[in-house]
Amino acid sequence: MQTNLLSRPTSAKSTSMSDKINHPQLCQWLESVASNRDKEAFTHLFQFFAPKILRIARGKFPNEAQANEVVQDTMSNVWRKAHLFNQEKGAATTWVYTVMRNITFDMLRKIQGNKEDNLSDDIWPIAEKMSSEAEVFDDHLEHANLLSVIEELPQAQQDVVKGFYFREMSQEQLAVHLNLPLGTVKSRLRLALGKLKVQLGEEHD
Amino acid sequence: MINHHPKFELIKAFVNGDLPASLSAGVAIHADMCPVCQQTIAQFTEQVAETSFEEEYLDRFIVDDNEALDAVAAIDFDHMIDEIVQSSDISIALPKVEKTISFDDKIYTIPTALNSMELGKHAHIGKLTRARIQLNENEIHTSLLHIQPGGGVPEHTHKGFELTVLLAGSFHDESGEYVKGDFIMLDSSHQHHPISTNGCLCYTVANDALHFTQGINKLLNPIGSFIY
Ligand SMILES: [Zn+2]
Repeated sequence: MQTNLLSRPTSAKSTSMSDKINHPQLCQWLESVASNRDKEAFTHLFQFFAPKILRIARGKFPNEAQANEVVQDTMSNVWRKAHLFNQEKGAATTWVYTVMRNITFDMLRKIQGNKEDNLSDDIWPIAEKMSSEAEVFDDHLEHANLLSVIEELPQAQQDVVKGFYFREMSQEQLAVHLNLPLGTVKSRLRLALGKLKVQLGEEHD
Repeated sequence: MINHHPKFELIKAFVNGDLPASLSAGVAIHADMCPVCQQTIAQFTEQVAETSFEEEYLDRFIVDDNEALDAVAAIDFDHMIDEIVQSSDISIALPKVEKTISFDDKIYTIPTALNSMELGKHAHIGKLTRARIQLNENEIHTSLLHIQPGGGVPEHTHKGFELTVLLAGSFHDESGEYVKGDFIMLDSSHQHHPISTNGCLCYTVANDALHFTQGINKLLNPIGSFIY
């Protein structure tokens, strides 16, 4: 076990954070995964979180394979979503917990014969870098080849999307800027988003 | 001002993911409108996360439970890591698209928590309109309930619980006035007769049919299951 994590002091700002977890270290690993796709950092994160996620999942799923699936899905999300983790909004532990809880919830619903409807991310929106939508898009341009996808939209939709996401104009400002009714701006934006989602392969989950 | 909040017990179960989807969404809808509960939830989530991932906690568990230790050992973690890091996919956060619903020509924004839920057709009775939310939670029924101005629900009790979260407008009953955002959880010890003077839209969850209690209203009992 990662005993070295126990002894290091932490500069945690929140009172409920104990000194038993090295929060700055966890954040640093997440940062490395986000910016460099750092496999070693991910391995550290995996070694820290996976056994604990497994233990918790074993308490909720009697079936071993299902518990393993929770570990696999949670850690896959950590790998794919590390860039969405926002230190300002909370601890790495809170973020991973939320991801794990949401996956567990959707899986339990599926198993209990309710539905396969993945409601959890609507019920518990994961604290992501969503405060400024423009920022999210800016950050991941290279990865997502978003721009090239946007270029394929009809010009009228492009204008709205670019103004909204890259120039951070509000829908109201855009309506004035483009001399369009607000309703038109909204419907173009919605239409464009629908297309972008399809183009980007619904990777946002 | 919001006056009615979920009890802490409910918030705890919400954070742990132990509530059914219907009640989880109810708490989420309320918290969206209530900064106080929002903060309670954030703090409690942080605490639970911290405790869940504390090394000491795990050690204690493993010492007590050899079976769990075996389970940990049985998984090929290296293989799992390899599989995960092979993927170059990254997830993109797209802004949520707002969904709306209309009742009697009025348009309402659907709370985010309900975004992926399937809504049934509108059913009408008097000044009430109900759209069932298809959550397949057995005896628990979840709905959007719209009351036109001047409408109400005859005096009734419940054999189980009845949760109402006010999404828009207001209503009142014997205990007072309720406003947008209020989280009203009643059990079988409550008996009430809600009336909405100016109309309202509610999110409702109940695990049993209403039971009408008063005089002629008893005749309504067969439709008690309509409303909730
Ligand atoms: Zn509250």
